[in-house]
Amino acid sequence: MSPPRLADRLLCFFLSDDRLEEVQGDLHEEFRWQVRRVGERRARWRYWWDVLGFLTSRFAHKRQPDTYQTYLMSPTMLRNYFRTAWRNLVKNRFYSLINITGLTAGLAVGMLILLWVQDELSFDQFHRQSAAINRLENWAGTGGSRQIWTSTVAPIAEMGKKELPEIKEATRLSYNYRFTLFKYKDKTFNEENTIFADPTLFTMFDFPLIQGNPTNPFPDNQSVVLTETTAKRYFGDENPIGKTLMGTDNTLFKVSGVIRDFPKNSSIRRDMILPMSLLFDQMYKGQTDGLNQHNDFHTFDYDTYVVLQPGASIATLSDKLRTIHLRNKPEDTDVAYLLQPLPQMHLYKADGSEGGIETVRMFSIIALLILVIACINYVNLSTARAMLRSKEVSMRKIVGAAKSQLFMQFLIETALLFSLAALLAFGLMYALLPAYNQLSGKELVLDFSDYRLWRLIGLTIAGTLAASSIYPALFLSSFEPLKALKGKVSARLSEALFRKVLVVAQFAVSVILIASTFIISNQLHYIQSKELGYDKTHVFGFFMRDNMSQHYEAVKASLLNQPGVADVTRASSNIVQIGAQTGDNEWDGKQKGETMFVRPVAIDKDFIPFFKMQLVEGANFAGTPSDSLHFILNETAIKRARIKDPIGKPFRLWKDKGTIVGVVKDFHFESMRKKIEPAVFYYRPSQMMAMYVKTTGQNAPQAVAKTERFYKQYNPDYTFDYAFLDDSFNRLYRSEQQTGLLFNVFAGIAILISCLGLFGLATYTAQVRTREIGVRKVLGASVTGIIELLAKDFIKLVIIAIVIATPIAWYAMSRWLQDFAYRIDVQWWVFVLAGLLALVIALLTVSFQSIKAALMNPVKSLRSE
Amino acid sequence: MKGTYLGEFEEVVLLAVAIRAGDAYGAAVVNEIEQQMGRSVNLGAVHSALNRLQEKGLVSSEMGGMTAERGGRRKRLYSVTAYGRRALEEIRQLRNQMWDAIPGTAWGQLNMQ
Repeated sequence: MSPPRLADRLLCFFLSDDRLEEVQGDLHEEFRWQVRRVGERRARWRYWWDVLGFLTSRFAHKRQPDTYQTYLMSPTMLRNYFRTAWRNLVKNRFYSLINITGLTAGLAVGMLILLWVQDELSFDQFHRQSAAINRLENWAGTGGSRQIWTSTVAPIAEMGKKELPEIKEATRLSYNYRFTLFKYKDKTFNEENTIFADPTLFTMFDFPLIQGNPTNPFPDNQSVVLTETTAKRYFGDENPIGKTLMGTDNTLFKVSGVIRDFPKNSSIRRDMILPMSLLFDQMYKGQTDGLNQHNDFHTFDYDTYVVLQPGASIATLSDKLRTIHLRNKPEDTDVAYLLQPLPQMHLYKADGSEGGIETVRMFSIIALLILVIACINYVNLSTARAMLRSKEVSMRKIVGAAKSQLFMQFLIETALLFSLAALLAFGLMYALLPAYNQLSGKELVLDFSDYRLWRLIGLTIAGTLAASSIYPALFLSSFEPLKALKGKVSARLSEALFRKVLVVAQFAVSVILIASTFIISNQLHYIQSKELGYDKTHVFGFFMRDNMSQHYEAVKASLLNQPGVADVTRASSNIVQIGAQTGDNEWDGKQKGETMFVRPVAIDKDFIPFFKMQLVEGANFAGTPSDSLHFILNETAIKRARIKDPIGKPFRLWKDKGTIVGVVKDFHFESMRKKIEPAVFYYRPSQMMAMYVKTTGQNAPQAVAKTERFYKQYNPDYTFDYAFLDDSFNRLYRSEQQTGLLFNVFAGIAILISCLGLFGLATYTAQVRTREIGVRKVLGASVTGIIELLAKDFIKLVIIAIVIATPIAWYAMSRWLQDFAYRIDVQWWVFVLAGLLALVIALLTVSFQSIKAALMNPVKSLRSE
Repeated sequence: MKGTYLGEFEEVVLLAVAIRAGDAYGAAVVNEIEQQMGRSVNLGAVHSALNRLQEKGLVSSEMGGMTAERGGRRKRLYSVTAYGRRALEEIRQLRNQMWDAIPGTAWGQLNMQ
C-alpha cells in the first residue's frame, strides 16, 4: 500500500531539491490518511491530483532564503572596510603617495580646465530670451571680396519689426565715438567703451536696472545710463540719479538710470549707454542730402538684435529682410541677410562656422585625457599590486564574504583615496587660480554658492571614481581563494595585457601632447617672425586729436630735433590692424554687380619709406596737391581687380576719380589667420590722425615723454594713449599665445602624471623581482644587463605608443593649422623629437628604479623574505 | 486598504495555520481546511499559498517533527508572525466595520422585492 510510483518520480524530477523533503512528506502523510478515509483506489487518484498541483514554476525553483541574509551595507562591515582601507593606505605609503599625487594633480588641473570650458559655454546664456535673440548680419561684396558684416543699417530694425510678424522686438547698438570726455565736478574721465542704444536694450536683454525705469530709460536725448562701477567712479557714494555729467563739446547729460555691471560672460559689455535718438539727432540734423534715420541704407554701423517669434523660419526671414533692403536701395544686389543666435556669438564665427568652440573642444579633450591618465595610474598600480592583496581576499572569501561585499570593500577603498585626493585638489585649485586666471585671461572664481560649480565637481569626481574603481574592484574580488592562497594568481596574461594597453594609451596621449606643443609653438613663432612687408621696430603710434593734427608739421619738425626720435610720419589708421573698408570704388574692367572691398588708408608722402615698404611699380606720393587724385594699390588689389599695367590707369575711390601711380608690395595688416586683402593708399592730410614716431631704440622713453608733452599741450584733458607697434602686433596673437601657453602647461602636467604612474609600476616590478635579480647577479649578470632586463618591457610599450600617437597628432594638428591663412607644414622631425623626448623621459623614470635594483647587494636581496 | 493584500484563499490558509498553532504544516493545514469548510483542497495550492505568505512575512517556518507516516521525512512547520496576526485582525476589523455600517433598512428593502 504505497503511493503511485510514477507520480513520485514525476515529482522528484520536477521539484527543486530543497523542497522535496517537506512536499513528499506531506503527500505521503495525506495519502495514508486518505486511504483510511476513502480507500486505496480513490486515495491514489487523489494523490495524482495533489501531485499535479505542484507542477508550477514556483516549485521548480528553490525556496527563497528567509532566515539569514548577508547585508551589503551593514554598519559593522562598513567600518571594517574603512579600517582596512586606511591601514592599507598607511602601510604602503610610497604607493599611496604616488596615487594621491597623481590623482590630486589630475583632478585639480582637470577641474580647472573644465571650469574654463564651463565659463566659455555660459556666454550670453543668462538672458531669459537668450534662445530667441538673434543678431542680424549682412553678406556683402562679390567674388573674393564676399564677406560678412556684423553691423547693419539703422532702418532695417524698425522696418523689420513693423512689417514682419517673425520679429517680436529689436534693439540697435552703435559705438559711441562722439562723446568721449565726461566731467563731473573735478573728475574727468576719457570714456572709450560706451554705446548708443535703443531703449529696448533694457527690456529685451536681462541687464537689470538698479535705478531707473526699464520701459523708459531715457526720458530725453540728454539722458545717460551708467553701470554701477562707472557711477561709482564719478559720484562715489552719492546717489547718481539726476546728477549732470558734462560731455564733449559741453553737452550736458543727466543720469537717468544705473545698471548692474555687465556680467563677465556677456558679449555686450559697456560702461555707459546713451540714447540712440541722440546719435540720430547728431547725424542727420541739418543734413541737406535728405538722409535720415528712416531711410539711410548706406551706413552699416548698427549691431542689430532681434527677438524672433517661436518657430519663425530663419531662411524666409532673411529673404524678407533682403526684400525690404532692396526695395529701399535697389543697387545693393550683393547684400543678403543672415541671423546668428545670441548664444552662439561668442564661440562661433559670424557665418556660423566654428570659432572659439574649437579651443573649447580641444581643452575639454585635454581635461578628459588628463583625468583618464590619472585614472589609469590608479588602475595600473592597484591591479599590479593585487597579488599582495590576494591572500586577504581569499581569507575573507573563506570565512563567507560574498563577491558583492568584496566589490564594495574595494570601492570604498578607492573612494577613501579619492576623497583625500579631492580635498587636496580643492586646495591646489584654490592656490593655482590666480596664476591660472592670468594665464588664461579669465576672471574665474571658486564660487561655492554656485550650483554649476558643484555640478562640475560632482560629475568630475563621480566620473573618475567610477572609471578607476570598477575594474580593480571587480578584479580583486574575483580571486579564487584556493588558487590565491597557493600563490597561483600572478600568471594571468590577460590582466597584464590590459595593464600594458593602459600604459601604451597613457604614453600615446603624452606623445600627442608633446608633438602638438611643438607644432603650436612653431606656428606661433612663424606668424610672429614672418616677413610682414614693413618694418615696425621701435615705432610707436597714437591718434592725434583735431587741434594737434592741425599743427602736425610744426610738431613733427620739433620732434625730429629731439634725441631718440629718428623719424615721424602719419596715416589714417593703425597699420597693424587696418579696420575700415569700402566697396565704393571703380576701375576699368569692373564688371556689373561686382564688389571689391578695399582697405583705404590715407598716408603721408614719407609713410612708405618710413615703414621700409617696397614699391613694386610706379612712384610714391610727392606731397603736392595733385596727389589727392593719385592712388597706390597693393599687389592683391591689382590682382583681384585684374588690372594689367596699372600705372596711369584710372581708379575711383568714393567720389574721387584719379589714377594709379604706384603698386606697393603686399604687407600684412591683419592677423595671419586671414589672407592679405586689397588695400589702397590715398593722400588726404586732413584724415591722417594716426601719428607714428620711430625711436632710436635705447632713447625710446625720452621720445615717448617728449611726444606726450606735445600731446598734453594740445589736449590737456586727454590721456596720452600710445602703443609700440610691436606690442599691438603681439596683442593680435594674444589668444593664440594664451592657448599655446596653456597647452604647454597642460601637456607638461599630463606627462608628469604619466611618469608618476610609470615610476610606480617600475618600482613595483623591481620590488617583485628582487630575489630574481639577486640570483642573476650571483650567477654573474652585469649591472647593465639587469637594467636592460628591467627597462626593456617598458620601453617597448613606449615605442608602441609613439607609433600609435604619430598619425593621430598629425591629423589633429593639420586641422588646427587649417585656421591660419599662413601656416607651417607639419614636419616629420617633430614626431621623431616628440617620440625621443617621451622615450628619454620614460627611460629616466624607469632606470632610476632599475639601477637601484641592479646595484643592490645580492646577499641582502636574497635574504629578504 | 494599506498593508499587504491578502487573497481569500491566503486568508483561509493563514487562519488554518493559526488554528493549528505549533503543528501547522502542509498536510495538517489541508485537513483543517477540509474539516472547517467541507471542501477538498489541493495540497500544491496550500503549499503555494504558504510560500507566498512567508514571502510576505506573514508566517515564518522551520523544519522539524518527522514521523513514520511520512517515511521519516521532516515537516516544514509554520507559525503566524506578529505581522501576520495584525493582518488578520485588520481584516476582521474591516469586516466588522462594514457590517456595522449596513443600515437596518437594507434587509427590509431586500425582502420587499
